[in-house]
Amino acid sequence: MNLFHNVRAQWLAYAVFFIVLALVPLFVGDDVFLLNQLSMYGVYAMLALGISLCWGFGGILNLGQGIPFGLGAYGMAMTMQMQTQDEYNPMPPFMLNNSLTELPWFWVPFGNTTVGIILSIAIPALFCAIFGWTMFRARVSGPFFAIMTLAMLSAIGTLFLGMQPYTNGANGLSPPRSLQLGELTVDPYSPGSYWVVFGLLLIATVIAKLMTLSRSGLVARSIRNDAERVRFLGYNVAAYETMIYTVSGIFAAVAGACMVVLSQYVSPDQFDPTFSLMMVVWAGIGGRMSLLAAMLGAFLIQGGQSYLGDELDATWYLFLGTFFILVVRFLPKGLVGLVESGLGRIRIGSKRNDGDSAASEVSLNPQPGA
Amino acid sequence: MAAGSLFLTQFNWSAFINALVLGLSIASIWLIAALGLTIIYGAAGVINMAHGELIMLGAYSTYTLQTSFGIPFLLCIPLSFLIVGAIGLLLERVLIRYLYKRPLDTMLATFGVSLVLIQGTRIIFGSSPKYVDVPEFLSGSLEIGFVNIATVRILIFVVTVAVCVALWFLFFRSRFGIQVRAVTQEKEMAASFGVNSGRVYMMTFALGAGLAGLAGAILCAMATVLPTMGGNYLVPSFLVVVVGGGALAGSVAAGVGTGELQSIFAYFTNDTFARFVLFILIVVFLRLRPQGLFAPSAKRR
Repeated sequence: MNLFHNVRAQWLAYAVFFIVLALVPLFVGDDVFLLNQLSMYGVYAMLALGISLCWGFGGILNLGQGIPFGLGAYGMAMTMQMQTQDEYNPMPPFMLNNSLTELPWFWVPFGNTTVGIILSIAIPALFCAIFGWTMFRARVSGPFFAIMTLAMLSAIGTLFLGMQPYTNGANGLSPPRSLQLGELTVDPYSPGSYWVVFGLLLIATVIAKLMTLSRSGLVARSIRNDAERVRFLGYNVAAYETMIYTVSGIFAAVAGACMVVLSQYVSPDQFDPTFSLMMVVWAGIGGRMSLLAAMLGAFLIQGGQSYLGDELDATWYLFLGTFFILVVRFLPKGLVGLVESGLGRIRIGSKRNDGDSAASEVSLNPQPGA
Repeated sequence: MAAGSLFLTQFNWSAFINALVLGLSIASIWLIAALGLTIIYGAAGVINMAHGELIMLGAYSTYTLQTSFGIPFLLCIPLSFLIVGAIGLLLERVLIRYLYKRPLDTMLATFGVSLVLIQGTRIIFGSSPKYVDVPEFLSGSLEIGFVNIATVRILIFVVTVAVCVALWFLFFRSRFGIQVRAVTQEKEMAASFGVNSGRVYMMTFALGAGLAGLAGAILCAMATVLPTMGGNYLVPSFLVVVVGGGALAGSVAAGVGTGELQSIFAYFTNDTFARFVLFILIVVFLRLRPQGLFAPSAKRR
């Protein structure tokens, strides 16, 4: 039995991961800008988590993760923008510049902070449910689904870019004040917001992990391996696919909302296809089959971009592209595949099958000495 | 009734017909960008995310041929076809041929390729926009009745039609075409009849890449040449392939249909909203007909 597939060992790895992350603000000290930047890595990790759940476990390659991300981000930005408006001054300044005379109806609910926050998660979730159900019921899957998500992303991006009077077009929204929750002001440069972001990441990770361990997670993994066979066994494949796609979309929406709280800025760039593809690159390089590895992949690539990106400058994307091609070509399971095969060489006494690997995978990769 | 007649009196027929002609021009642009993608997807099942960047390479090879070697624009078009075709051949041999059994991974690997190509081009040529000189007769516009259209759009339309006809002959009237169709339908069976399927895939990929190069060469007559220009063509050409179902005739029909709809919606609203409505319509269309307009008789991959 490979230690890599031992569920108890996996939970231990997650625990270590989050404990280390929770301790980070204690070592950062007074550099609040660094702390803000590190909080942003929680957002990236949440996006990678969604991709890993959707693509690694459900087999649904989603190149449009930017849709729920961007919708969630715009929802939160609208909420924060409306917090700075009052009865004498009911409309954001950019609308006045675009000669609107009254607040558009879809901005009105965001005037209430609670409703606004709920909507910024609910709207992307509803979008994913409807779009996913439409596509999966038609049995659009694999590369075709990936293309449709990409097309949808591009469509929504152009829409937000084009509706200048309602979304401020290419300039995006930059709410002038931090998020107010009741009497509390959420300071994006405080350890508090760091812990909130990573607390949300922890909750999302536990939900995702429990989903993959559950019975429906098993069905989802079987769909990844052979959707047709699962359908013949009487499962409603489209429902499972829609569920997993929607949950992953909710994670992305939460990530989007967190991003706006941290950066106080959103623009149609969130819908840029390259950014959505980059999320897939994080998960692909880290290892899409493992939630933890996908998150570490996001840290690795984004960290590399921030630190190596300055030094390598122009050659960074050249380097990243080449690296990604090599990983796809030689390590389909990502870098964590190396860890998996490394741990596979270590014999451990336990012969219990903890059931993290689908039966088909076990028979395909017999472990020597297991 | 009154509203109807008001509509008819206010409706500007000449502008609408102009929009229809423009739609045909948009259709030919999307179609020529999509042809290479159609062939590669239709024959080998590979979804080439680097297709837009191959178009970009076509534009840059035209630019280089013109500025460094002084070759006239019209001659650059076939030369770009050959250059980018050769790049495609190399790409297939080095990378793609190992991934035919993993269709999702081809998308990812080719995305990596597109990153490399964009950044490589940026390093070599810089990120400033480049312009290609077009012959005198292509810079004007033509007026037929009340229809006014730029000559360069007519050239693109004519080339697109010519390439489609040539491809039809290649696929349905030549020995190579029979081999491609045989490999597409049933690879093992074709192989047992002595068709070298690896070679067929290789040549199809090179052909598709070459067509992207040709598209780039001709499109740079009306677009600015930039390292990131490929991104503009990727989604429309994907949609043409998806709506068409991966067959040549399907792509032609889908290209004309989507191009016309885009132009008609844009006539009533504006460009961005038209694109949004068009994409929503495509999602609905795929819900009703997931296999596309003309699904090839081949097995679904």
